[in-house]
Amino acid sequence: MSNLANFARRVAQLPIFLASAALFVLMIMTFADVILRSAFNAPIEAATELTRMLMAITVFAVLPVLSVREGHIVVDLLDPLFHGSLLNRIRDAVISIACGAMLILPAGRVLVLAERARSYGDLTEYLNIPQFYIGWFIAIMTYMTALVLLLRGVIALFAPKLLENYDV
Amino acid sequence: MFEASIGFAAVLVLVLLRIPIAFAMGLVGMVGYMMETSYRGAISMVARLIIDASQDYGLSVVPLFILMGLFVNKGGISRELYQVSYAFLGHLRGGLAMATIVACGGFAAVCGSSLATAATMSKVAMPQMRKYGYADSLSTASIAAGGTLGILIPPSVILVIYGLLTETSIGKLFIAGIVPGMLGILFYLCAVFFTVSRNPEAGPAGQRTTWRDRLTALKGVWAVLALFFLVIGGLYGALDFWPIHLAFSPTEAAGMGAAGAFLIALSRRNLSWSGTLEVLKETAITAASLFSVLIGAWIFSNFVNIAGLPEALLGAVTAYSVSPWVVMLLILLIYIGLGCIFESLSMLLLTVPIFFPLVRDLGFDPVWFGVVVVVVTEISLITPPVGMNVFVLKGVVGDVPTATIFKGVTPFWVADIFRLALIVGIPALALYLPSQMG
Repeated sequence: MSNLANFARRVAQLPIFLASAALFVLMIMTFADVILRSAFNAPIEAATELTRMLMAITVFAVLPVLSVREGHIVVDLLDPLFHGSLLNRIRDAVISIACGAMLILPAGRVLVLAERARSYGDLTEYLNIPQFYIGWFIAIMTYMTALVLLLRGVIALFAPKLLENYDV
Repeated sequence: MFEASIGFAAVLVLVLLRIPIAFAMGLVGMVGYMMETSYRGAISMVARLIIDASQDYGLSVVPLFILMGLFVNKGGISRELYQVSYAFLGHLRGGLAMATIVACGGFAAVCGSSLATAATMSKVAMPQMRKYGYADSLSTASIAAGGTLGILIPPSVILVIYGLLTETSIGKLFIAGIVPGMLGILFYLCAVFFTVSRNPEAGPAGQRTTWRDRLTALKGVWAVLALFFLVIGGLYGALDFWPIHLAFSPTEAAGMGAAGAFLIALSRRNLSWSGTLEVLKETAITAASLFSVLIGAWIFSNFVNIAGLPEALLGAVTAYSVSPWVVMLLILLIYIGLGCIFESLSMLLLTVPIFFPLVRDLGFDPVWFGVVVVVVTEISLITPPVGMNVFVLKGVVGDVPTATIFKGVTPFWVADIFRLALIVGIPALALYLPSQMG
């Protein structure tokens, strides 16, 4: 089983790397755009639409990783009240499963909207990139996040040892 | 009104059960919206928000400003900032604590997070103050309080979140934060002065630095100061070097800041390949968690609006012909109360969808209210029992009891209340600079 955890850790590096690359490109592109526009009056015309895409990639690539790491922002005010590891574990598991389940319907709807964009043939303004690529990406990553949260909940309930020392 | 109140209570309960804020607000917002409209309508609204938010050009300011802060941090600027402040203030009684405040202010000018400012500065300033025999209460309190400046002096993540939640100009919010931020530094210096004049033992004077050494120390920070003026000046639209005129949108300012900080860190040879990757990774994760809470808060906001809470609240206020200023005072009291228990970002996310429409309809300036909310949030960071900055200090320093830190923080807290009163009483303090923007 620990091989499985190791494998999961490896796989999780991939989206993180993708997000990092997208972010770096976003930074360099914004910098270059400002310099080119200010000094040479030659802005990067596609900068706005590229920014949108790079943002979606950055955020949604790491969303599953963020979720499995418990990286979401929580209020831990009542933590002292939840004594005992069993109670804690059950609470975390239930929350994880509930959050995962909650995402399934919107994810499906995102996919429908992306499909609609595809049937309309919606393209981006300058680069003529089909809009549904990003829609699909968002839908798939939202599904992934839901899956990861559900899995995490189930593992927390039945095989909590697997989650120990888990850090991507 | 009734539905929205139930919704708000439900969010509070879910959040306290440790459900992530994004999911708690999203769930309640979705279910509430469903009850007001239809099942299909609600799911579509949520899906649309997910798609649009992640591709919103304005939102790209979030990861870029976080990136800038982290790169500056990697560049090792905190030590130099402290050295400069020390060179100018160290010889005064309580001078090291004053230097800490000023250095925190300087760090805040390139970093948008209070917790990061406090954590970074504590590593640099605490050992120095210990060396000179400063009382633990004064040294820890000056870092905890100085750290709060991180979210007011631009760039500021909290102001960005407020701007995005309320569709207020982020550029104007940043510029509006400058004067109140300076006031913060000034008032905190007074708090240090007050502490050491009551108890001179708490903060003995250090050595005087010669002017030659002061100028040498300045060399260490000029690049970061230049970066700050580039980012804020560009945002203000005031950088006119013919034939080059620099005027940035917030995203562009953030991109310039991030790239500039990256170059500074590179030129100081403080940045390795793996260090860069680490910064990018941390930024992506932080940005994703902020996007999640923003989407959750928007879903909840949509529900609150469709349930008619803003009109109902406004109706109640007009029906009882309460003065807008009484309402404002009540809101501020609620914030200070909530600040005792809630962490800054959670407090902002939970309250802004409720209060903002009311405040706007009562005729208050959205930019001014943003600054006021951030100042109140700053106060909450050092208010017991849950003062996040105090906890950060406790985490770094360790051997100082939390009660000692809170005790030392008291004069700073009082200074903050004075500052809040001043900004509420004289809105021009926040609004004059943005009103002059091009």
